[in-house]
Amino acid sequence: MRRYFLLAASFSLLLGLLISAWQEKRLPKPIALTPTLTGQVEYCLTCHLDLAEISSSHPVKTFGCVLCHGGERLALDANLAHSTMRGGKNPSDFSVVQASCGGDNCHSGTAESYRNHIQRATTSIQATYAGAIANIRYTFGAQPDLKARMGVFAVQVPQSTSGITELAAFNPTQETNPFVQVFGQNCLTCHLSAQPVQTGGRYDHFSGCSACHTPTQSTDLTSVDTSTATDVHKLTTAISYTQCDTCHNRGNYNLRSITFEPRQDLPADRLHDYYQPIAQFTSCEWKLDCIDCHTRTEAMGDGNLYSVKKDIQYIQCKTCHGTLTDLPQTRTLTDPNDLAFRQATLNPVIDLKLGDSILVTEKDEPLWNTRVLPDGTYEMFAKADGQRYVFRPVKGSTCTQDPAKQDSGSCHQCHSVQR
Amino acid sequence: MRPSFFHHLHPPTIPERQARFRYTLAAGGLAVFLMLVLLVTGILEMFYYIPTPTEAGTSIQTLTFLIPYGGLVRNLHYWSAQFLVIVSVVHLLRVILTGSYAPPRRLNYLLGMGLLVLAILLDFTGYVLRWDEGIRWALVTGTNLVKSIPLAGNALYRMIVGGTQPGQATLIRFYSWHIFGLALAAGILVTWHIFRVRRDGGIAVPPPLLREDQRRVTRFELVRREILAMLFAATALILLSTFAPAPLAAPITASAPIFETARAPWFFLWVQQMLKLGNPFLWGVAVPLMVLAFLSLIPYIFPKPAKHELGRWFPKSNRLAQAVALFILLAIITLTLLALLPAS
Amino acid sequence: MSRSTLSRRDFLKLSSAAILTACGLLGLEGLFRFLTTQTEPPPPTDFDLGSASNYPPGSRTVHPDIPALLVHTQSGFSAISLACTHLGCTVESKPEGFTCPCHGSRFDLQGKVTRGPAQKPLNSLRTGITSDGKLHIYTNRITPS
Repeated sequence: MRRYFLLAASFSLLLGLLISAWQEKRLPKPIALTPTLTGQVEYCLTCHLDLAEISSSHPVKTFGCVLCHGGERLALDANLAHSTMRGGKNPSDFSVVQASCGGDNCHSGTAESYRNHIQRATTSIQATYAGAIANIRYTFGAQPDLKARMGVFAVQVPQSTSGITELAAFNPTQETNPFVQVFGQNCLTCHLSAQPVQTGGRYDHFSGCSACHTPTQSTDLTSVDTSTATDVHKLTTAISYTQCDTCHNRGNYNLRSITFEPRQDLPADRLHDYYQPIAQFTSCEWKLDCIDCHTRTEAMGDGNLYSVKKDIQYIQCKTCHGTLTDLPQTRTLTDPNDLAFRQATLNPVIDLKLGDSILVTEKDEPLWNTRVLPDGTYEMFAKADGQRYVFRPVKGSTCTQDPAKQDSGSCHQCHSVQR
Repeated sequence: MRPSFFHHLHPPTIPERQARFRYTLAAGGLAVFLMLVLLVTGILEMFYYIPTPTEAGTSIQTLTFLIPYGGLVRNLHYWSAQFLVIVSVVHLLRVILTGSYAPPRRLNYLLGMGLLVLAILLDFTGYVLRWDEGIRWALVTGTNLVKSIPLAGNALYRMIVGGTQPGQATLIRFYSWHIFGLALAAGILVTWHIFRVRRDGGIAVPPPLLREDQRRVTRFELVRREILAMLFAATALILLSTFAPAPLAAPITASAPIFETARAPWFFLWVQQMLKLGNPFLWGVAVPLMVLAFLSLIPYIFPKPAKHELGRWFPKSNRLAQAVALFILLAIITLTLLALLPAS
Repeated sequence: MSRSTLSRRDFLKLSSAAILTACGLLGLEGLFRFLTTQTEPPPPTDFDLGSASNYPPGSRTVHPDIPALLVHTQSGFSAISLACTHLGCTVESKPEGFTCPCHGSRFDLQGKVTRGPAQKPLNSLRTGITSDGKLHIYTNRITPS
């Protein structure tokens, strides 16, 4: 019996080595990628080869994964590889956006070149929540007027031209009024720098840049269908109204308990489900997408600190339609570096050419998806789906407007859709 | 059969009773085997490891994930190192609980204590070479403990850390100590230790007239058993290393400390637990050194085991030493378990 | 042992030895793969030398990073590798030709060997001009000059 021991021991060692070799064979073959921007090899694609290109502006061969997402580029162990990812599933979360998306060549460039997106977005009222905080504090007597003094985080913009150059951090525990304290507990999830109200599913992307630029068509926000998970990995400027809808018009405020009662569905029938029952609106307000009228500075801020939405939101019906006395403002594109061309390249729904005339806003922002037609009408291509619309100016029509009243309520007197 | 080189490393015959596994627990032999595994896998790791703070983490990740069998080599090194500490402690316990430290083996006992300290220091320096978030706080607290030593503390700290805080200088110092200073000392000591085993008359055994059992085994049988033990140990190590990876966390970066429960490496958990009691010098340096000194003095302060009782477990004549050793072991195990309890 | 059949003892010994040899070979194969893995990316093979107009006809420009000598003659651009064909030292470009500092090989202006120990002429490297006028040298296509 004893003389078999050596044979058995030798055999066990051979078996151990074979098992080890077999285990080594089973490991996935590493897939290397050396992005041109970093020049450092990364192996994320070993597992993530099936992920779709995030956008045509961020090709994976150029950017790789680590430049935006962080993480351990060499690790083939999922826990280790993902342990240092910036912002978890969302590198564009405002807590890490500067490291993920910033840089002079990227999205924190100068205001003159319209590339200071991070500075604008993080100081906009969508991020600071300054308007809501000012409103509540004023209502309950914690401040004497509606001027914003606090944001959800402290922020300074010394060059701000709006009269507000800094916001202190809103700290509910230092408030004396109990209603303001309750507001602080219940209502600070509605801004771009907040922790999303839920984790998992689409909610993981509802902060920072991706809250808007990673749109979903799904009506179920609580889960991501893994078979189509590639559509979470997307950045675009073609943002349909449903994405705005994931935060806006998501339920009702209960003013008595100072809580928000969210609706559970993402409404699919826009005309009947989306708007509040008492709302009045005209055809273009429900057929177009929000971003077809509202410009980037309205949505993302213009770099100044504001107290309330109406300080930054300025587009009216007349921006595109003009008034009885004036045509809408237009600009003929003569500069090949015109901002309109860059925006149209990022979302090519329109084929703009030098010499084309486009509509511009009162603040001279290009409405780059429009064009003045030879017969004096205008065409507009919807940014989200490319649908073409042709519309007329008010001037020369039979409209009976009072030129001094240009608010939407006045226009809705005649122009509103029956539900 | 003519004895080979390896046979000649052993005495021609040894007493049969003391050659049994249930007497030696094969601890000394396994320790030598593990040291050989550590030497080979350590050399292989040196081909890829880069001892700089920026590249230590990436080079380990390259070794672990991208080099064929690199992960296996690293895991073998890791597991062998942990077992070396365990097996050394088992060996020490066997020597105390059988009274084998009696003269003329007192010097060899001290050499063995030195080897145990070296094994622990090698384990700690090797652990630091990972230079990942997992070792960050152990390195900080471990080196700050040195600072707490009166008079010599600051000089010792500068000697070990190479600066005012852990950084590049620290990593290269730990690297040099690990692969050269400590390993060389361990190599010399283990050679001396084995030489002393032969010089002191082989394994401890009663004088010939007092032996109950006069049977002996030959060196051929001894080598055969050693080969068997090595083959089984190698198989176990390879299987363990194939399926249980050595820990690795993200490299240390200045900007983003990861705050998890900061635990000392397992062999220092008992010290970490004592440090919760207060004075760092007392509990972190003085008490562990006193334990070490006390263990080293066992052959000198306790009654000598009776000659006729040598070569077997738990001789009556050194019960006090056995009790003390088991008490220390129990205390260390208890402290270790307490440290592992989740903080309430 | 006069019989040709093996005794059981020898058979066991032989099979153990055979298995352990297999273990050793397996280990050697692993060691070979462990040691031969390339962790650094291969050196670049495409060198951008900037605008072709920087190199007027008649110019001879040394690019030590490749290393290569760029020659602009009436027949166009050509490039000679400055890696000695003997053992790879970088040869020095002189008005009368090239000399190798390591073992004294000499080459004429066309790269032909004029003195050993090198046996082969210096290699020619492929050159090309991209659509935006940038001159490139490619080191992955070599031909003896």
